[in-house]
Amino acid sequence: MATTKTHHLKEWNTLHRNGPFPLKTLYITELEGDGNMPIKLERYNDVAKEIQRLIKETHEAGYGFRAYGSAWSMNDIAHQRDRMHYNGFMNIHIPIALDDLHPNTNFDASNLFLFECGTTIKRMSEVLSAHGKSLKTTGASNGQTIAGCISTGVHGSAFNVGAVQDYVVGINLIIGPNPNDIVYLERHTVPALTDNFASKICDRIIRNDKLFNAALVGLGSFGFIHGVVIEAEPRFLLKRYVKKIDKKIALKLSDTLDFKNSSFKIPEETDAQDFGNIPYHFKVFINPYNNEAEYVVELMYKKPYVSNYDDPFPIIKQSLYRDLIHLFTKMAENFPKSIPWLVNQLKKSILPKVDEELIGTLPEIFWDAPYQGPAFACSVGVDHINASKALKLLADLTTSEGPIPGIFAMRFVKQSKATLAFTKFPVTCMLEIDGVLWEKTRKIMSLTEYSKRIIEVLKQNNIPFTLHWGKNSDWAFPGLLETMYNETKINEWKACRKALLGEAMATLFSNDFLKTIGLVDDEVFIDEDLIVSL
Amino acid sequence: MNSILVRLGLIASCFIFTSCYTVRLRSVNGTMQPDPLMSRDDYYRGMEVVELDTVIKINLTSKDFTYLIKETDKCKSGKLHTIEFKNTFGGSLLSMVTFGRNRKMKIKYVCMNSTN
Repeated sequence: MATTKTHHLKEWNTLHRNGPFPLKTLYITELEGDGNMPIKLERYNDVAKEIQRLIKETHEAGYGFRAYGSAWSMNDIAHQRDRMHYNGFMNIHIPIALDDLHPNTNFDASNLFLFECGTTIKRMSEVLSAHGKSLKTTGASNGQTIAGCISTGVHGSAFNVGAVQDYVVGINLIIGPNPNDIVYLERHTVPALTDNFASKICDRIIRNDKLFNAALVGLGSFGFIHGVVIEAEPRFLLKRYVKKIDKKIALKLSDTLDFKNSSFKIPEETDAQDFGNIPYHFKVFINPYNNEAEYVVELMYKKPYVSNYDDPFPIIKQSLYRDLIHLFTKMAENFPKSIPWLVNQLKKSILPKVDEELIGTLPEIFWDAPYQGPAFACSVGVDHINASKALKLLADLTTSEGPIPGIFAMRFVKQSKATLAFTKFPVTCMLEIDGVLWEKTRKIMSLTEYSKRIIEVLKQNNIPFTLHWGKNSDWAFPGLLETMYNETKINEWKACRKALLGEAMATLFSNDFLKTIGLVDDEVFIDEDLIVSL
Repeated sequence: MNSILVRLGLIASCFIFTSCYTVRLRSVNGTMQPDPLMSRDDYYRGMEVVELDTVIKINLTSKDFTYLIKETDKCKSGKLHTIEFKNTFGGSLLSMVTFGRNRKMKIKYVCMNSTN
């Protein structure tokens, strides 16, 4: 039998210490050992019953419930003030066999895998690698759990691939304590699993594009994500280049993504006609506090996998000494004028080394990121055609009303089908500001005030935008949700959630973040057709 | 006299400073056993850390000491992910005055997360 430890706590915090947030109870569930229950599906279903027991217990107590994994989100999206469930020990994986493929599917069975919610990106990559496969993309790091990634829209900068949720083809949800409350969702237009296999992990199968797309980026509130079926691809290598290029060229590339006709070329990465190849990954780093004529850019090109490539692991970068970070933060708070100098001093630790080249697999290139102390990250999504305009506005804001102890970067992500994906533009430029967390003083505005100004500046300049669900912002900004998404999408998401969960469970799986942003709405019209198989 | 004392102080400071260092071995593969309670705020935040801070006796003939990593609640897999060895001035001094018989063992280790 799966077992749960209950901790009675007063508060909970994220990995990057963006809280603390109040909490009454933390549940930690572990599966039965494989020595006692050797069949994976049995262990998987056994722990599902345990989760249902916890949901029942919580519901009867009149409390809310929310699952979380690695706690990497930098706001309170993963937080529930009553009861939270840590799922990092729930990490079963099951490869999908040919016989388990839906008759109308185009998927290759060898590319499909069921992963349990708490499996980290690193573990997934290792499992896939053992099968000669790879994830299509990650969040450029490997510590997040798969359920956390899809719930918040985690992305890398593979602009022809998408975000993590975009290779999920099936979701197994526990939506309540009762029989029939374990459901498996797929798109009806892109089915993956046979009823026979799906019914081994659920009570109900629902094939419905609209419902699936709504649940895909569900902000942790579409029930307990127990497992996801993902589509992997054959293992590949990435050749990574770091270059310094003229600002104007870097910005033009950001606005057009036209690598074919750009004057910037990497000699090894051109076609027979000498046009530039399209990279797999493109990232631009911007230090708003210097006026250098060039930006550092990072490009990665996809290559077929071979086993004999140079070891991509350099000596792992030394972590910044913690006391040094503390000192820098205190200096930033008390002497804001020192921030540009501090950011410039940290340049070598923050930016990749120029002209560095390496080749490796996706998990090797995006290996472990060590904890570097309390951190913040603001991340704004804009259509990539507005990338340079948005960058200028936010860099000007930061230097004129700041300074802020952070550095900018731009990454690019293909459009997602998820209803509330922040990667909603044909190619979304994620404009990120990352740095050390500071305290408001008389001389430096707070992170929430800075976030508010970001929203105001983008609105004033009529730049449509979204915000990364797992990062810092002024989430209480009036009308923020309606500014970012159209009403149809918002209502569709709310209606799907309510129709699937019902009144009581919709309340149980809500949290303060959802209320703040305005996604808890009692008035929403429920159409039962939303949750039928099509 | 004063300048001699200052020099001696400087030499002692250099000795103390240079005798403290940390060496960390970390596996490229595998995921660490997490600490859901996030009880630390250092390099190991989010990791379940086992700390050993003890004095061991080294046999003068064998010069060898083996510490076994067993499966416990803080090391569910019984397999190592990260190990950190710290040498301090006190440790060096202890070793020196006991002619290498007593050694300070200041170690942190993190185990691999158990997989299902």
